[in-house]
Amino acid sequence: MTFLTIVTRGLWRRPVRTGLTMVGISIGIAAVVALVGISRGFETSWQAGMKTRGTDVVVSNMGSALTPKPFSATVVDRITPIPHVAETCSLLVDLVGVEKAEMMIVSARQWGGFSWKNLKIVEGRLPNDAKEKAVVLGRTAAEVLKKKVGDTLQLETEELAVVGIVDGGAVVENGSVILSLPLFQELTGNEGKINIIDLRVTPGTTKEEIIQLCDKITSVVPEARAVVAGDHIRDSQAYRIIRAMSWGTSLLAVLVGVLGVMNTMMMTVFERTQEICVLLAIGWKRSRIMRMILWESALLGFLGGVCGVLLGVAGVKVLVTAPAMRGLLEPDLNPRLLVMAVAIAVVVGVVSGVYPAWRSSRLMPSQALHG
Amino acid sequence: MAPSHEGSGSVFEAVALQKEYDDGQVKALRGVDFRIQPGEFVAIVGQSGSGKSTLLQMLGALDHPSGGSLLYRGSSLAERADLAAYRAHDVGFIFQAFHLLPTFTAIENVQIPMLESRRTTAERKQRATELLGLVGLEKRMDHFPAKLSGGERQRVAIARSLANDASVLLADEPTGNLDSENATLVMDLIVRLQQEQHFTLVLVTHDPGIARRAGRVISMRDGHIISDALNIAP
Repeated sequence: MTFLTIVTRGLWRRPVRTGLTMVGISIGIAAVVALVGISRGFETSWQAGMKTRGTDVVVSNMGSALTPKPFSATVVDRITPIPHVAETCSLLVDLVGVEKAEMMIVSARQWGGFSWKNLKIVEGRLPNDAKEKAVVLGRTAAEVLKKKVGDTLQLETEELAVVGIVDGGAVVENGSVILSLPLFQELTGNEGKINIIDLRVTPGTTKEEIIQLCDKITSVVPEARAVVAGDHIRDSQAYRIIRAMSWGTSLLAVLVGVLGVMNTMMMTVFERTQEICVLLAIGWKRSRIMRMILWESALLGFLGGVCGVLLGVAGVKVLVTAPAMRGLLEPDLNPRLLVMAVAIAVVVGVVSGVYPAWRSSRLMPSQALHG
Repeated sequence: MAPSHEGSGSVFEAVALQKEYDDGQVKALRGVDFRIQPGEFVAIVGQSGSGKSTLLQMLGALDHPSGGSLLYRGSSLAERADLAAYRAHDVGFIFQAFHLLPTFTAIENVQIPMLESRRTTAERKQRATELLGLVGLEKRMDHFPAKLSGGERQRVAIARSLANDASVLLADEPTGNLDSENATLVMDLIVRLQQEQHFTLVLVTHDPGIARRAGRVISMRDGHIISDALNIAP
């Protein structure tokens, strides 16, 4: 028998209470994993999309909306002469309800632009020209919309032909409805407007030169901002709000966990007053009593954390299969997040145990003789 | 015959020992003086409220005196910084209500005080096995307290009190919760162990039959020692 045996027995003497407290912590930690995983997934999914399209720099105006604000397509003319700019591709991207899907990415791309080139045709073909009233669907988008080649798709007021299904190599690309830029501009009454310029730099351009290029573009195009691909999501006010809300909600859930563990540990100390006094009477140091309570509390946090991580991962897996979420993002459940979630749970346990541990160490061994 | 108060080398020496509760409204010990020599078996007797259990608490350093002094082997207990070490290694406690930890088996209960010793896990287990053998419970080692009789529980508690080789055993009404048959068995065991291992035994009781088995009887009333006498034929 070791000290750890005493710690674990302390927890299992009230299995129902311990279990319920663990459930409380698990829900808090599951919330951390799910919310933070999803908000980070939003960022990484868009980063992956950029990478697949071979974009080095994104010119956009990420305000407080989830999609960038439109600006004049003539902005491209001011960008192309700048040194290190090899190629540009204008886009008009929006998140809209399409038929029964509540939210889909509609990605309208400059006809002939490089952003079409990463699309691998799985079935059918690409539109024949910029004016053809046709769309191609990413694989996931096709599944979500239950469309196949030859079907039609209602977009805004127009019925468009589904001419192809493509693999874009990233979740965001596969979850998109893709069509030519002029067609979408016409459909949405945004003639002459775009909201993203994907930009490729000349080969051999260094990272520092790319950053300088971004500054240069931002200075000549005040209506938009140039950032290294992927960073534009992180810079977005909407994404910042999502991230802050994720952490805020997680923090609340964790606080509830703290109160739950503290309540359990206080009950433990009250219930075991005489037992603790006996331990003091037979020679246990007060520091050992404190350690016992803190270890129990930390173990409770750890077990709750592990269960919470499993619950969170399972919950997220289920959530991303929901029609409203499919194809929009891939949750970022990297090991660092999962380890951090368990660490948070252990810290919650330890912090919650401090006061009960202090209370237990104040007990007088003479109480062992009573009762 | 009066006990000798002469000579050095006492295990305990109390001088005008006092204990008050509730800001002096309750005076549990009103200045008691005594010495206890190594290897003695002392019974402290008296009615409820006489101060006998309070005196035991002072000897076990479970509480601090309000006045006077209490020396353990010549050193003041009040001045010791390591009272936990004193309780762990110098004295062993036997309680009336046994106070075994319910979620631990007999052998685990005996090992609990040894966590404060330098023994390894294997050594703790071996020592606990030996002690349970000594109290006749070698076949009940893996039983939880709820599965043991009152007498068996107290025997486990006795084994626990000896876990760290204490030289003093303090027993508070050790047979108070037992039927007469088990009470006799437990007392026989305590007396046998005391005779074999020569530890100092201070036992609080209100049972005259048990007190008669001690070498010396201290009688208390209202916080005073009213008599302190050797038993001629314990």
